[in-house]
Amino acid sequence: MAETTTTTLNPDAHLLLDQPLLRLPLEVSRKNFKAAQRAFERERDALLSSLKAAGTAALSGDASAPASLESLDASIAKLEALKKRLATLAASSKQQSRNSRARIEHLGELYKIPSLVDVKYDEWARVRLDRLLVDYLLRFGYGSSAAALAREKGIAELVDVEAFVTCQKIERSLREGRTAEALAWCGENKQSLKKLGSDLEFQLRLQQYIELVRTQNPNKIKEATMHARKYLASHSDIQLVTRAACLLAFPPNTPAEPYRDLYSPNRWTHLTSLFLSTHHNLLSLPSRPLLHIALSAGLSALKTPACHSTYTSSSSNASSTSTSVCPICSTELNELARNVPYAQHSKSEVEHDPVVLPNGRIYGRERLRHVNEKMGTAKGMVRDPTDMKLFEEQEIKKVFIS
Amino acid sequence: MEGLDGLLVEQAHLEKKGSLQPAVDDVQKTIDLLKAAREKIIADPRSAGMTLAKLQNPAKQSMDKVNDDLKVVYKALGNYTKALDKKFKNASLPTAENDALSSHPNLINRAIAMHLLREGQFGVASTFIDEANAHPPRPEPTPGSPNPYANDAEEHKFAMDNIQSQKLQQEFAEMYHILHELRQKRNLDPAIKWARKNSSVLEHRGSNLEFELCRLQYVVLFMGSSTSDGGMQNTDGPMRAWAYARSEFGAFQGRYSREIERLSGALSFWSNMPDSPYRQTFHNESAWEEVAHSFTREFCSLLGLSADSPLYIAATAGAIALPTLLKMQGIMKTKKTEWTTRQEMAVELPLPPAYHFHSIFVCPVSKEQGTDQNPPMMIPCGHVIAKETLERLSKGARFKCPYCPQESHPRDAKRVYL
Repeated sequence: MAETTTTTLNPDAHLLLDQPLLRLPLEVSRKNFKAAQRAFERERDALLSSLKAAGTAALSGDASAPASLESLDASIAKLEALKKRLATLAASSKQQSRNSRARIEHLGELYKIPSLVDVKYDEWARVRLDRLLVDYLLRFGYGSSAAALAREKGIAELVDVEAFVTCQKIERSLREGRTAEALAWCGENKQSLKKLGSDLEFQLRLQQYIELVRTQNPNKIKEATMHARKYLASHSDIQLVTRAACLLAFPPNTPAEPYRDLYSPNRWTHLTSLFLSTHHNLLSLPSRPLLHIALSAGLSALKTPACHSTYTSSSSNASSTSTSVCPICSTELNELARNVPYAQHSKSEVEHDPVVLPNGRIYGRERLRHVNEKMGTAKGMVRDPTDMKLFEEQEIKKVFIS
Repeated sequence: MEGLDGLLVEQAHLEKKGSLQPAVDDVQKTIDLLKAAREKIIADPRSAGMTLAKLQNPAKQSMDKVNDDLKVVYKALGNYTKALDKKFKNASLPTAENDALSSHPNLINRAIAMHLLREGQFGVASTFIDEANAHPPRPEPTPGSPNPYANDAEEHKFAMDNIQSQKLQQEFAEMYHILHELRQKRNLDPAIKWARKNSSVLEHRGSNLEFELCRLQYVVLFMGSSTSDGGMQNTDGPMRAWAYARSEFGAFQGRYSREIERLSGALSFWSNMPDSPYRQTFHNESAWEEVAHSFTREFCSLLGLSADSPLYIAATAGAIALPTLLKMQGIMKTKKTEWTTRQEMAVELPLPPAYHFHSIFVCPVSKEQGTDQNPPMMIPCGHVIAKETLERLSKGARFKCPYCPQESHPRDAKRVYL
């Protein structure tokens, strides 16, 4: 009974981790569409008014043929540029569409797998791990590794290398103390950021202001005042704006708070994480790598008190061929799992027909017999497969664990 | 079950209607209009005014066409968004609460590097190790460890130095070489050589691997180049097998004498193997896969590693457990309760039997799991209870077992190890 419930595969619940996989291509397509629409509307208005002006001028005899041609050429050039921009966006959306299809098909496979113990589930889950790994590598800026893994595994359509490359560029520029790239990104996503109520652009402008004031150079200070009037004054957080204004009275090495805080280089770190969270939010990406989320849950589900015990577990250790090494005990994860809680169990789970040896080690009777046969233990004797101590067979005692 | 078919239909619709290509084509048509007007003015400069005037309407219509193209895209995107929302209407994204690991990025990197190595992805692994060393990750606070920076430097050193990737890569390269020889080339020599080199460790572990490999070698020689359908081409097979057995099986006499007798007995049946009692041993289709499997297991165990990638097992277990976990968090949030203990999960996370490794002891009285501080104790009647339960029940004096009538003294209870 318990066995069937733990092996049931509920695909709908199982896809919890995978929603971002389908969201991202859609968000990119939507972004592409908005960019296309904005570019089109701008050029349409420009074209129509320019044609109108040129036409009126030509008809009223104010303009010569060469002037008309010049105006036409300018319009043609602008339209060519628009076409090029639209074509780029069209190609990107097309790729996203292909990705969406591949992803839906990949996720749809799950509905055809009968249970969690089916070999097909194993294959599917391995692809999922590869996806999660690529996502992780991209988030940490390990672009070459991510690309190499995606290529090796043939899962290019299931991962988002490009979206992260842009993100990484901006992240790096912020870490290096530049705001230009991030501000350009804010410009591209102005409407969406407004909808989110994002503070990012203001914070970037504030940083520009702080950097100008930091120089303590009279010309720069003047520039800073202009900058503040243009970008900061209208912000709703009056207190912050006032504080920014007062910053002028304090030198960069001031011990006085909150001005010391405003001058602090930590603000750049803060800006970087603000940018990342805004970016991820905009593309419906979870704030933390999904690998972390899956692993955290997995470590807790698998971990037992035995995994970090000072005593070797009889049921799972590396010293005998009759047991398999537990993944939490394996070198890869052992340290990582140290701080997560262990799994809850409400009843004991022990090998069938448990017996105890004089040294206190408990084994399933059948496994103990089998492994001793394999080890070639002498008749009438039994060897503990964990610590290799030798006992007489009649010392084996039945033990009751309920 | 509907699955994702509905979504697939909507996606196909989006693929057809959601393309920006028509807009591109219609912008080109506008360009053509303008170019035609340009030609006309060049041909007849005096017509400039008229031509431009006549261009206004077609240009506007052409632009309207582009606008219509975009409207179609907008609608298609909207429909697909709705379909997606509907599919995932109850699913919120997992949040940072579920992340206990951001404070240990170096340990995760190490786990990934080892995973790549054990999967035989040596190229990706070395790219990754280079990248990770050039740009060590920054730990981020998690609910469990709000201030992860304290031992970060130490952790990095521990993680990346300890990986000894060169050595590990060599080990796994050897493993894949041996497996390749086994599976693809049906060549047992490298595997036998490895088993012989590690003979004493393997014997200590109670592993049969060396004998299993040699037995398969005997079978291979015995059957000569004959195929599995029983056709015999090589009549000196049994002779060569006999010679092999004489030179190699000596060391196994003690442990495997019966099996060796059996193998020798097969010599008298060689002309009629498919109908003999030895059919099982000599026509075992999966024999190669079986030895490859036990080889992998032993090889990894000797390195202290599990046979399957822990990263794979843990990530998969996590995905299986996550729905239950999120449900519990949802309930706790609405009830505004907290976990009572940081040590143990607040809910049972069901996993398939293949994900159970250690035996679990839960005290039948206190319902607490056995730990190093509160270990399982066996009382003389053979029943096992937790140490704290024992202390509570006995208060240091003789007490009755909670499961049988027998009485005993707590000092006769014995620590047991599962």
